[in-house]
Amino acid sequence: MSELTVQHTASESWLTVHIGHHFRRQQDGFHLQLSFEASAARTVIFGPSGSGKSSLLRAIAGLLEPDAGHIQIHGNSVWQRTSGKHSLLWVPAEKRRVGLVLQNPAVFPHLTVARNVAYAMRRMEKSEQKKEVLHLLQLVEAESLVDRWPRELSGGQLQRVAIARTLAAEPRVLLLDEPFAALDGRSRQQLSANLQEWARTHHVPILMVTHNLEEAFSAGDEIVVMHEGHITAQGGPQAVLMRERDRLLESLGVGPC
Amino acid sequence: MDTVALFLTLRLALITTIILLLLAIPLGYWLAFTHSRWKTLVQAVFALPLVLPPTVLGFYLLVFLGPQTALGRSISHILGHPLAFSFAGLVVGSVIYSFPFAVQPLASGFAATDRAMLDAAATLGSGQLDRMLRVILPLSRGSLLTAGVLSFAHTIGEFGVVLMIGGNLPGVTRTLSISLYDQVQDFQYAQANRTAIFLLAISLFALTLLYSQRRRSDFV
Repeated sequence: MSELTVQHTASESWLTVHIGHHFRRQQDGFHLQLSFEASAARTVIFGPSGSGKSSLLRAIAGLLEPDAGHIQIHGNSVWQRTSGKHSLLWVPAEKRRVGLVLQNPAVFPHLTVARNVAYAMRRMEKSEQKKEVLHLLQLVEAESLVDRWPRELSGGQLQRVAIARTLAAEPRVLLLDEPFAALDGRSRQQLSANLQEWARTHHVPILMVTHNLEEAFSAGDEIVVMHEGHITAQGGPQAVLMRERDRLLESLGVGPC
Repeated sequence: MDTVALFLTLRLALITTIILLLLAIPLGYWLAFTHSRWKTLVQAVFALPLVLPPTVLGFYLLVFLGPQTALGRSISHILGHPLAFSFAGLVVGSVIYSFPFAVQPLASGFAATDRAMLDAAATLGSGQLDRMLRVILPLSRGSLLTAGVLSFAHTIGEFGVVLMIGGNLPGVTRTLSISLYDQVQDFQYAQANRTAIFLLAISLFALTLLYSQRRRSDFV
């Protein structure tokens, strides 16, 4: 029975991660050691700053090559390394089709907002491209910025442009690292809802990193709790809340009950 | 002023600058992003013209590209004449002599590209060459201008390498700096003064252009 359950879970998961990585440059070293599978449409990774959440996303996107482990996206291996000097398999970031939105929006300063969003739409006809750019900017409520330059925009506006640009690349999965950090409460909720709607209609699963407890438990179908490079709990919001109550309260600065 | 020498110098500087940029962009990219253990040696070799007396460089170019070597013989065969005492020889000498002035600003400019921009481009499906053309080069416009202006100005002012490789053939290898030397040797100080002022003005203009561009980019 348990074997059947495992098989069932594996076939449904869109992401499988086993990672062991030692960050030698950081003070006292830092070890990232985790294994998990994501099958929910919206999985949230929750943990305090410095718990390794961003490094995990970078590894999945192909921007960090860990010491050992393997990663599968939608059942396809994108990286595998036992312990040797070189990976046995390495699909570079540009071929993974993983949409990544980081806290730093990294909007290209030499391109207008429209050309930033169109960056990944090279094979599309100009008229089609223009329409799609406007559609995506509407989705992130930034259509009025279409002809503006990044240097004229606020942090929150840059974040919206970065999200639209990522969606334009038609990713197979979406990785979001505190994507709404620069936005106020109302905009944050609206943008989050629009993004989830887009993901639902395009059948794109989301893995979102946050250290905001409220966001974690409202946006995720499944929660993965990380602490100092390790996973301490994974499951539905209710179950995780019960199991991790003391640690979560501690992270909010409240002692265990 | 010797106008034949003036146009020859400008032609030499322009051709040298174009060739230098074409060669220095890929090398600068490699130097900026490689983890190879050969990087330091390659850097040192390409920086040699900065410290080497130009006559030493000219001498070795004459030796290695002359009829005594297979390389020199094949170049002679292709061009129909030896490299020494020809305009093509001047171009080769100038390219080597000015190499560090093109490579170093480009390598440091490329290396200074915000890593987050490159990561974003990669996750948007941009491969290595695409990132170079659409992100690194446009963001390194200042470094490209620096490399171009320094190569051009440095080529206009060179003397030792040009004299060693090209000699002093009017209309073929006599550049402005050699013309100035001749004018002084002939006690034609008024002409020498005009040539010197022109060379000075070009250098000053090049550096002013460079610093004004840097000042502008500080505000962007």
